[in-house]
Amino acid sequence: MARSSRPDPEASLKRWWVRPLVRTVAALALPVAVPLLLTLLLWALPGDPASIVCPPENCTGTEALAERWNLHRGPMHFFSAWMSNAAGGELGNSWRMQAGVPVSDLVKESIPNTLALIGLAFIPILLGTVLAALDAIHRRLDPILHLMGLFPAVILAVIAAAWKVLTYTEFGGETAALFLGAAVLGIADGAFSGAVTGTRSVSSAERRQRYTGVGVLRGETELSNILPNITPALVGQLRARILHLFSGAVVVEVVLKIDGLGDLLWQAALVQDFGVVLPVATVFACFSAILLLAQALAEGGVAVWIRWSPKGVMERAA
Amino acid sequence: MARNPAWMSAGLASLALLGTGASLSYYEEALPTTLNPLFADTMVDRRSQELVFDRLWYHDAITNELKSRIVQRYEVAEGGQALKIHLTPGVKWHNGKGLSSKDICFTVDALLDKGTPSPLAEGYRQILEGCDTQGNSTALVRFTRVFHNPRERLGFAVLPASEFSSTAVTPDLPFGSHPVGTGPFKGTKGRRGANFEAFGNAHHGPALAQLRLSEGQDGSILVRALINNGMQGIVQVPPPNRPELSASDEVALKSYDLRSWWFIALNTNKGPLADKKVRQALNLMLDRTELRKFAIGVEAGDENSPCEFISGPFVQSSPYYNRAVPVVERANMARAEKLLTEAGLSKSGGSWMYKGAKVTFNIGMLATLNAEATDILDQIGNQLGKGGFDRQVDKVRADEWARRVTTGNAQEFDLLIGKWSFGLVEDVNDQFHTRKGGEGKLNIFNYSNPEVDGILGEYAAARTDTAAQDAYHKLHKVLATDLPYLFLWKLDSRSAWRTEVRNNIIAPYYYFTEIDGWKYSK
Amino acid sequence: MTGRWPAIGVSAVLFAALIVLAVIAPEFLSEANLDLKEFGPAAVPPFGADDRGRPLWELAAQGARVVALPSVVAGLVVGLFAAAGGLIRSMDLRWADSAVAAFGEVVGALPRMVVILIVALLLPRDWRGLFPLAATWALLSAPGAMDEAAAVAERLGGARFVEALRAHGYSSWRIFVVHVVAFNLRPVIVRQAAEVTMQVVFLEISLSYLATSNDDPSFTHPDSVRSWADILHLGYRALAFDAPYMHALVLGLGLVALVAGTTIGISRAARAR
Repeated sequence: MARSSRPDPEASLKRWWVRPLVRTVAALALPVAVPLLLTLLLWALPGDPASIVCPPENCTGTEALAERWNLHRGPMHFFSAWMSNAAGGELGNSWRMQAGVPVSDLVKESIPNTLALIGLAFIPILLGTVLAALDAIHRRLDPILHLMGLFPAVILAVIAAAWKVLTYTEFGGETAALFLGAAVLGIADGAFSGAVTGTRSVSSAERRQRYTGVGVLRGETELSNILPNITPALVGQLRARILHLFSGAVVVEVVLKIDGLGDLLWQAALVQDFGVVLPVATVFACFSAILLLAQALAEGGVAVWIRWSPKGVMERAA
Repeated sequence: MARNPAWMSAGLASLALLGTGASLSYYEEALPTTLNPLFADTMVDRRSQELVFDRLWYHDAITNELKSRIVQRYEVAEGGQALKIHLTPGVKWHNGKGLSSKDICFTVDALLDKGTPSPLAEGYRQILEGCDTQGNSTALVRFTRVFHNPRERLGFAVLPASEFSSTAVTPDLPFGSHPVGTGPFKGTKGRRGANFEAFGNAHHGPALAQLRLSEGQDGSILVRALINNGMQGIVQVPPPNRPELSASDEVALKSYDLRSWWFIALNTNKGPLADKKVRQALNLMLDRTELRKFAIGVEAGDENSPCEFISGPFVQSSPYYNRAVPVVERANMARAEKLLTEAGLSKSGGSWMYKGAKVTFNIGMLATLNAEATDILDQIGNQLGKGGFDRQVDKVRADEWARRVTTGNAQEFDLLIGKWSFGLVEDVNDQFHTRKGGEGKLNIFNYSNPEVDGILGEYAAARTDTAAQDAYHKLHKVLATDLPYLFLWKLDSRSAWRTEVRNNIIAPYYYFTEIDGWKYSK
Repeated sequence: MTGRWPAIGVSAVLFAALIVLAVIAPEFLSEANLDLKEFGPAAVPPFGADDRGRPLWELAAQGARVVALPSVVAGLVVGLFAAAGGLIRSMDLRWADSAVAAFGEVVGALPRMVVILIVALLLPRDWRGLFPLAATWALLSAPGAMDEAAAVAERLGGARFVEALRAHGYSSWRIFVVHVVAFNLRPVIVRQAAEVTMQVVFLEISLSYLATSNDDPSFTHPDSVRSWADILHLGYRALAFDAPYMHALVLGLGLVALVAGTTIGISRAARAR
């Protein structure tokens, strides 16, 4: 039940570092926690890649293959062997999805495509955020925005894929696919509309605060007053939107046949190619960790800046 | 939708390649999983590997005669338990090195090495004993026993010893995506397709310069791409799309004999299906003519039907097919119900009851079959439903089929719809022999019948073609009565190639065996 | 107050339509009718037929049955989590708050579609269905919902708000359940729940579409049943290849709009007093 004493505002003020610290610790833990969790989940899958390739009932050599792939001694042995190899830059070869191809080659060729897709998809979101923060999008446009955001990514991606194949030959249109995929990601599932409405709700709540009015009376702009206070919330929202883009990228890359990390992950997971699933999931986790760190730094930086007294103010108060 | 000039560009580009060693692009049903023949898992794998490798012996696509491109002559040795092979001189690997007896023996050793985790190799371990080199171009291949058809047993692709550090070949080696063979094309596998570049050789002279394989998608996309000359071929045209291609003057539909037959395996160890009369009743309950019409689109009496009913585990064109065993083309509900009643089942409220409980069949099907026979799972379910059986239907992924179904570990099913494809040797022992001592490796529901085991033993011991045929004719008759399977049909696939592609003889099963003769010209 | 009733009415009607479709769904589809030449609603009322001549209403109804209950349950789960998040912040339970934040950071960083796919592959055949995937999706969405509800609770005044109500003599039940959750957190709880409900429906469509286009077994329903993805797949063929199934596209988008409309209506109806 609630404590009877009132919370100490000074203590709350002093605890500003807790949340950024939690985020930083989570960011450092993610690149290890995610592959570990996935290893445990993959281990629970029925069968294993070695017995799929060489079912013990029909084929000898399953155990030797399992040993070669470190599958013979449980998930922790597999995970620790994989981590120590990965730390040394050795990701091995794909077992089934692209049998024999070095995983590092597959990952290296996929990262730029996914980053390009996410980066292009982020443009409308960033634009929406900025325009909403500047209060430049009228509320009358909200129904249209909501309508745009209602379409699930898979439907838009399928329509885009059909257009792409009919417009280009079987072996062309990669750039078109990238732009189409980015458009799909940036609009579908409420990405753009959510960026606008989410930013607007945060900024309009701050605009209604008394200090904003006071600042305006002093001749300052609204934005310069509210920006420090809304920055952590906006950074958090943007981080969540980018994560949503990463998640949606899996479907978009598969449907539009973009050679990105999401497609790699999907194809590998379907055939239980652990050798590919883990590194790709770890890359995703690293991207998430970077975003988390960025948010933690933004939060911490703003908190420090807010608490930095302007020169002269304290002296006058004294 | 309006046609974009991009299609025209593709067509013009294709024209520009006339007479200069043309490039053909074609759709396959999926990407090859590997180009290493030891780990061929799907028919796409086998077709793709046929472009890159030479098999020691192959069947001529037209005469069916057993031939070899890399064996100049051979002699039976050691009383029939070995074959001495003399290689054709001048044959080179794609890496420039010459083919030698060392490569033949390396391949045999790799097949025999227990460190090669390959089901295909496992099959050869029952047949091959070993291999010795006798000079640079002579190898002696030894068998575990005398076979009446030894060359038929040497249909494996030859591997280069120089590309491997050990005879224990694993599936994750780079050879799987960048193989080296002696075939007419050098292949590389990518993420979206595979490329095959022509490689002139003493025994191969392909007229085509390049082949590009792409994964097929929606049937409508395949058809549009082919008609607009964005692609030049489709290896397996889905049945719903055949009429449209058939109507086009620029495309020719060709038959592709997969040497495969479809079946419904029955779990003879479970519930009412343990009784032969129940199995016979199900056989009579199925209307194969209706099934064929709804799932494949072939009407009764259609000429040149790609779908031919069978009454046993062989295709009708096989010498092992027993023509005295009739096919059940139409349902006979009255007889089926009589058999079910005799088996002790009773009908209550339109549903069959067995030992007081309603009979519900758990029906599974290999998921990929839906592309060849649309909604066949539902159709079979509906027919059994009309017959008074409740059902639950499930598709089974290819991975699970390989891991659980063919290894006899899917006993939760009552019926399983599948397809067997046979290459050189139409040996069904593994499908029907009791699963023990290395026999019956593909016995889905662990069916066991001593009479059948005996007949299969006769086949294995046969020293002449006639003895082998007699044994399998007997098998056909017994299985048609005992019904561990309901035998459905042999279904030819249809390929579609643009008419500019000439002399494109499609070999049964392996498809590209005669690729050397393919030409692309207007 | 009067402005809420149209929203309540619309969402109730749409939701009822979804439930009715789910209830009347046939266990097995009708026999194929390959002799059909016209597929539109005029030929096969009320919604037309698919490429096998089967009435589209059967596919729509089966699809509704696939998504109805799991999506609603997922929404309820997220709503409960959101309420819990708001209550934790109101009660000023800092350790719980920090634990939720840490859990949220890790869970929020997981690529959801990958987790869903792996869960889908994990499921034994007997358990195959949308429920486990919807529950997983709800768990993955819960941290965000809890965060938002906690932020709303904080804006109320947190522990000071609770203290003020206690000073009025209200019991703990009335303070937390009625005033905090029902009166003030209701909009965010209902909105989050409704959004997750919609997301689960769209998730089912995505997974089924990917399975359908690869001829793979479904992740979300038995293979004897069809989902809305099959209707949308027909619509895609109409759009891309001039196939005569434009009515399927209209129906598919209409079903998507039905779910979206329900979500929007419920969200609008649940505004704070």
